Amino acid sequence: MTDSTPPPALASTAAPPAITALVLDAEALATLVQLDPTGANQLLPRVLTTYRNSLARLMAQLVVARWPFDAAVLRLVTHTLKSSSASVGALGLSALCAAAEQALRDGRLDDLPRILDDLQAQAERADAAVRQLLLSTG
Amino acid sequence: MLLPHDFDADASPERPKVLLVDDDEVTLMLTAVALRERGFEISEASSGEQALARLDDWAPDTIVLDALMPGLDGFATCQALRGLAGYENMPVLMLTGLDDEASITRAYQVGATDFFVKSTQWSLLAGRLRYLLRSSRTRQELERSKSKLARAQDLARMGSFDWRRPSGLPGGAAAAGTAGADGLTLAPEALRVLGFGPHDRVSLRRLVRMVPMPERRGMTRVLSGVQTQSTVLAIDVPVLLVDGRTRIVHVEAEPEFNEHGHAVGYTGIVQDVTDRRVAEDRIRHLANFDALTGLPNRRQLIWRTERALDHARRLGHQAAMLLIDLDRFKVINDTLGHAAGDELLVEVARRLRGCVRHSDQVMDSALDTAGVRSHRTLEAVGRLGGDEFIALLPEVVDEADAQRVAQRILDAMRDPVWVGGQECFVTASVGISMYPADGQTVADLMRNADVAMYSVKNTGRDASAIYSPMLAGRGREKLELESALHKAIERNELVLHYQPKIDVRSARMVGAEALMRWQRGPVLVPPADFIPLAEETGLIVPLSEWALREAARQAKVWGVNFGFADSIAVNLPNRMFERSDLVETIHQAVSTYGVPHRAIQLEITETGLMKDLQNVIPCLHRLTEIGVEISIDDFGTGYSSLAYLTTLPISELKIDRSFVRDLGITPQSSAVVTAIIALARSLGLRVIAEGVENLRQMEVLHRLGCTVMQGFLFSRPIPPDELERWLQQTVLPRKAPWIVQAGVEQLEPPRSTGGRWP
Repeated sequence: MTDSTPPPALASTAAPPAITALVLDAEALATLVQLDPTGANQLLPRVLTTYRNSLARLMAQLVVARWPFDAAVLRLVTHTLKSSSASVGALGLSALCAAAEQALRDGRLDDLPRILDDLQAQAERADAAVRQLLLSTG
Repeated sequence: MLLPHDFDADASPERPKVLLVDDDEVTLMLTAVALRERGFEISEASSGEQALARLDDWAPDTIVLDALMPGLDGFATCQALRGLAGYENMPVLMLTGLDDEASITRAYQVGATDFFVKSTQWSLLAGRLRYLLRSSRTRQELERSKSKLARAQDLARMGSFDWRRPSGLPGGAAAAGTAGADGLTLAPEALRVLGFGPHDRVSLRRLVRMVPMPERRGMTRVLSGVQTQSTVLAIDVPVLLVDGRTRIVHVEAEPEFNEHGHAVGYTGIVQDVTDRRVAEDRIRHLANFDALTGLPNRRQLIWRTERALDHARRLGHQAAMLLIDLDRFKVINDTLGHAAGDELLVEVARRLRGCVRHSDQVMDSALDTAGVRSHRTLEAVGRLGGDEFIALLPEVVDEADAQRVAQRILDAMRDPVWVGGQECFVTASVGISMYPADGQTVADLMRNADVAMYSVKNTGRDASAIYSPMLAGRGREKLELESALHKAIERNELVLHYQPKIDVRSARMVGAEALMRWQRGPVLVPPADFIPLAEETGLIVPLSEWALREAARQAKVWGVNFGFADSIAVNLPNRMFERSDLVETIHQAVSTYGVPHRAIQLEITETGLMKDLQNVIPCLHRLTEIGVEISIDDFGTGYSSLAYLTTLPISELKIDRSFVRDLGITPQSSAVVTAIIALARSLGLRVIAEGVENLRQMEVLHRLGCTVMQGFLFSRPIPPDELERWLQQTVLPRKAPWIVQAGVEQLEPPRSTGGRWP
């Protein structure tokens, strides 16, 4: 996985399926699809939209909580984002959330800024990938 | 999908209702969808606060809580839930992170039922929920059945207990969570049985002390035996409760073993069985004691005697059985009524009880354990039935010992008894049989005591006698006689002999007395040998009825043969006069043979008449009305009330033979005869003398004014055809010395040559 951070504008226009595939785990997505195999319930778009909203809200909270430092909010955000990201297949982001959560729990605050930086970057990639997926399925 | 219907089909909903609580909207949405698809009905809440608010109007079967949430997190929500009525036992599943050990621990602390690691593997979650619901229902069932059991136990006054061997011993301690220091745990129901509150702590030692002393020792012995052998325990013990009540508690327990086979304790129940025991005791009492007197009954007496004999056999001593039969009880019963008779029996029972060391209760166990003198508790007076009692003396030194008790019994009867508002005198006849001399078995002793008792009855009553084989011989004879007498009537073995009544002024036969004889094979049995037995057995009734018919028949035969128109006198015992059908019986007899009622005269002894005057009088009146005359036999020997005599419907007094015998020898006898004749004359009664054996007696009687007589001087009682011959050969030819003697008066022509009666 490359670590280039595409600008939001670019992410909205160019979203090749390759990026989506790289960021979102196919198996996890398949699990989601199985919940609504025919798509009759519009489950996938609803979940993905919800995820994007949730992601935007949580990332905003995260940014605020980094300075001044608020461990409790950071922990809650990373915890929540960890599981919802895993649900939509954003396993990279979920792993970073887990790492951040663990560092917070262990009090390894030195490691934290780097992890959070990565996390923020990965969150943008995940958001882009989800948007891409939404467009392609919508 | 349906849940397995493990317990109760109604209790397992088709779609279990789940309240899903998660602040992560994505997880919430996906979990909800996934669970709905797997058959759950889902309600979603995105925070703890929202979840609690939702419960106000919706009751889920289970709640799934995300552990970490802003605001009220999963832990706080769970804690709040547990405080809500109805949610104390609701299954709550806490969702935690995989690696979040602290959350898992905390989840249990706040009362979560289980935890589950968040994942997208929904089927695992669904499976876990189902398991949770099922175990929750199982638990509910368990609670319900526990409370059912508690209620049932309460109703049965029963409760369970557990006893663990104190720690240090193999397998100890581990289980004794709420147990006392000595390893005893009593369920609240068990505590209630024992009179304690549900929260009282009661030690084994305290329980043992609640058992009163004599039983406590036995119980301690049983307990330690049971404990060392690890056998099943089942005992009934009396327990003195804190409130002072004594109850009987049944304790039943089975040993419990650990996996190594070591006994680790006991588990069982205590039950208040007082009521049952009281009922059982009552039944036992009814079966073993006489309802009227409260004395041991026949069954109980036999039981006691058997045990007493066992002891006597083992210890080599003597025992005695006293059979006590009241004299004349039937008379009291018949004249004063059964209620009075019962009253009398109760009083007699009370007195008899005082004559021996009477023990009401005999415990089987006491017999076995109370040592060599325990058989003394068997000593008792019991009621065999009717007016028969038995005194059992389990140990006597000799016959004199038993006789002393018999004498005490006879003395105890001396005082008058008040029954039915009047004073009664009652005596008893006591027969004694000794073990081993007079029998080895209860039946032998009873029979022989009976024989001895009857010998007392026969020799005047109100005394005691010890059995001897000689008595038994007589008893057997009597039995044979009795059964033979039964058959005598049907075999026509009974005959009537007749003794003529003579009017000496005219030297005429003016009637005859019929006397019963028993032609038993070649032997002619005199009445004295069978009439008392007939009286005793009641055979006297058919015998008397037969005599009446036979006398009527004979009157007819004589009427035809020689113009007999007088009466034949038949002796009847007073009990015949009590029978309402006597008049009818006589009527039948005379009608059958076409003779008038006056052809039959009845003789009743003075003693018999006076004994039962009130019951006899109405009958006498009716008899007189139809023309049957009454003669008072043996007059002068009884104690006639002169006042009654004036009013009685009688026709004739018969001077007792004892006065006649002494006539001309003692001046007193002629004084008595003179008085009787004067009395009869003033009352307008005929007078007749019996037992006239010589001319001197005839002369004196004649001189004193009695002209009608019967006796050997004239004729012995003879068969009817002989009497006819006697009339023809002796009376009519006027050949007898008494006719010459009597002949001083003017002779009338014999009546038998006169007209015939219709």
